[in-house]
Amino acid sequence: MLTYQSKDNLIFKLHPFTQMTFIGIVFILSLIFSHPIYLLGLLMSVWVVIAASGNLAEWKGYMKFSIMMVVFIVVINTLFARAGTTIIYSGPEIPLIGSLEISMEALAYGLGMSVRLLVIISIFCLYTYAVNPDKALRLFSRLGGKSVLAITLSVRLFPLMMKDFQRISEIQRCRGVKLATGSWWERTRNSIPIISIMLLSCMERSLQLAESMYARGYGSGPRSYYDKDLWRPRDYLILIVTAIALAVGIWSAVMGWSAFSYYPVLEQINPLELIGAGITALTLLVPAILNWGWMKWPILKSRI
Amino acid sequence: MADIKIQDLSYYYPETIKPALNKINLEIPEGQFVIMVGNSGSGKSTLLRTISGLAPSFYNGNLLGKIYLDGADAAQLSRHELVQEVGIVFQNPESQLVMMNVEQEIAFGLENLGLPDKLMKRRVMEMSSSLGLSAYLESYVAELSGGQKQKAALAGVLAMHPGILLLDEPTSQLDPVAAEELLNIIRRLNEDNGTTIIMIEQRLERCCHLADRILVMENGGISADLKAGTRANGIWMQKAPAAYLPPLPRLFASAGYKELPLTVKQGRQIIKSYNLERKAGSNFNSYPDKPPVSGIDPRKDLVDIHDLWFTYPNTGEALKNINLKIREGDFIAVLGENGAGKTTLLKNINGLLKPSRGSIQVAGKDTRELTIEEMALSVAYLSQDPNDYLFMPSVREEIDFTIKNLKLSEDGYSEEIIRNFKLDRYIQCNPRDLSTGERQRVALASVLVSKPRLLLLDEPTRGLDYQLKEQLGKLLLEINQQGTAVMMVTHDVDFAAEYARDICLMFDGGVIERGSKYEVLQHSTFYSPQIGKLFNNIVDDVITVDEGVKVLLELTRSINSEIVSAL
Repeated sequence: MLTYQSKDNLIFKLHPFTQMTFIGIVFILSLIFSHPIYLLGLLMSVWVVIAASGNLAEWKGYMKFSIMMVVFIVVINTLFARAGTTIIYSGPEIPLIGSLEISMEALAYGLGMSVRLLVIISIFCLYTYAVNPDKALRLFSRLGGKSVLAITLSVRLFPLMMKDFQRISEIQRCRGVKLATGSWWERTRNSIPIISIMLLSCMERSLQLAESMYARGYGSGPRSYYDKDLWRPRDYLILIVTAIALAVGIWSAVMGWSAFSYYPVLEQINPLELIGAGITALTLLVPAILNWGWMKWPILKSRI
Repeated sequence: MADIKIQDLSYYYPETIKPALNKINLEIPEGQFVIMVGNSGSGKSTLLRTISGLAPSFYNGNLLGKIYLDGADAAQLSRHELVQEVGIVFQNPESQLVMMNVEQEIAFGLENLGLPDKLMKRRVMEMSSSLGLSAYLESYVAELSGGQKQKAALAGVLAMHPGILLLDEPTSQLDPVAAEELLNIIRRLNEDNGTTIIMIEQRLERCCHLADRILVMENGGISADLKAGTRANGIWMQKAPAAYLPPLPRLFASAGYKELPLTVKQGRQIIKSYNLERKAGSNFNSYPDKPPVSGIDPRKDLVDIHDLWFTYPNTGEALKNINLKIREGDFIAVLGENGAGKTTLLKNINGLLKPSRGSIQVAGKDTRELTIEEMALSVAYLSQDPNDYLFMPSVREEIDFTIKNLKLSEDGYSEEIIRNFKLDRYIQCNPRDLSTGERQRVALASVLVSKPRLLLLDEPTRGLDYQLKEQLGKLLLEINQQGTAVMMVTHDVDFAAEYARDICLMFDGGVIERGSKYEVLQHSTFYSPQIGKLFNNIVDDVITVDEGVKVLLELTRSINSEIVSAL
């Protein structure tokens, strides 16, 4: 039903706040950084953490789809960007584009941005597979009470409506409603009865739900929050290191180290400026390292 | 724990002139277990809503009179106080669960009360362990069975520690096993904690032994207030209107007995006291329509299921090697526990599912070669919930919808069905505004208008009271006599015994037995109707009400004649 499947490793055994903080910080850093090495560092950390969480197979699926986008971005950028000066290929005149000139800078820029895209997609993948959506939602529920409840309700009702749809379609097909044959237009028109029944049933159900919520005192005063997630040393450790990663990332950005100018000529890479990339990548690897130790040494498992 | 006192209570739903409740006076002492019965529209649910404060504060409308909870005027209580005083559980578990997993569902009401974290944890723990939900705390609500969902809904209400628990037909959507479990929980609450309980329930045979008091409602008022006295002695039943009696006492009442049993055990004692055994089988004529034991059945095959296997892609084998024939004029009830493959078998017969291996021939044609629409002409299907059928603005249009879809010629048959199903009065009504039984009849009419040769029904008696069940049973017999074969999946053994001719028992994807109901149901322990159990090893072949009444009358007559001859 849900993409989330709990697995037995440290990444899944973190407090949802820790998980969300890690994901949030990687996301922020991926937007701050434009230096390809910094971005590659992020990508590497996220990849290792995803591997540690046991979702590498799912991530590969995401990557297959992302590579197509990457190719697209690189091709478009190299074809249209004119700011680069180091021409590596110059070709014939092409309508609309003009003369075909491919510069190394445009190619590099396309690749650099693709790394950012891959980081964002990877972190999204980690969120989808490793964070219990329910808990994430509850984490936010303190912020926006009613709207979060509305989301919770729709998530809860979604599988119910899918079942309704299936059941009602079957029933109406037995009454001669053609849903599998005929033209697209006929099938759409024939599905009107099913949609109307679902609408009517949904309205009845939502009234009953509202009644049940009202009877349990919803909206009768300030709410409190039931919270069963516990804090463990692993959460503090990871929160501390991700905070360091964020601080170093911001520092690098302020110092201008994590920026990179592709045009007109690729900037020289100063090894000293890469210190920030190293530290952020290493600190963001800590969850994976902890997981490795957690798996290997029962003593560590019991301590953190 | 609390008592309820109701004074001159009348209630009008918004924009209505007729009161839903009319001058009700009622006192319910603390810890009483009250069961409420009555037809649909009699005001049962409305009474619960007024006690819980939903009417008028949720429904609006106009309330006259007073309700006192524990001596305090309910109208003066804040909602916070009220929801901790009165809890209410509704009929359909699906439409009262809010959160995604069980634990949060239990905590939902507590959060609304703004309780501190520590107290909430304690209540969640208490509720989950006392209701046997501990193993499911983290489970998604969507993955639970109907019984577990209803338990979760109950836990969510009980966690708020109400002194009064109101239940609006809590078991009507559950199978018998789950219903029994829920009723046991409710009984324990009443006995161990002294919680005051008011429960609406149609099937009294399931629960009347629990009640201290039975209220019968009619037209917005209480028409009978029966003290059950000491539990399990059925003195109240002599005064109760016959329509609300459970099948067993009704059987004795219609044979003119003064003593009415509530359980099979009591019934057998009554029969034994008449010393029936020695007369058993001597002059009682067994059932007349017994089919020939051997020999070839001359009727034509309608459905021929040959070595049928069916596998769902995700959950595995659901049907295993089924061989079954449905002949013209058959009336078969399919019994079996949840997950035995009953519904899957129905869906294979009406073409919604196609066999994985083996074949099904319907009227000589392989279902694999037919579309569902083609099959709809010869096989009609009625599912559990009539609401899944109804969407047209009037009954007339609802029935015409099928005629139009199947491109049938309008030959006056729909008029005949409307008359037979007693729907003429409602022909212009919106089917969704009708009562449960009427809605079911509209749905049934809308599938039967194609004059199918076979009618398939899935749990047709779910949520119906005795009268509606009887009406449905008679209607099905009529349809059957007019030449449509009927096959129904049901959990209701009594209904199956009363109306079906053949029984098909399913277990773990296979057909365990198929035969005449007398062969299959007579000596079974679980799959035997109450009447069968009553006469088991006393008189053979008695499983329907008519047969039971006959035997009982015979019994008194022979006793009387003995007395006469002795004189």
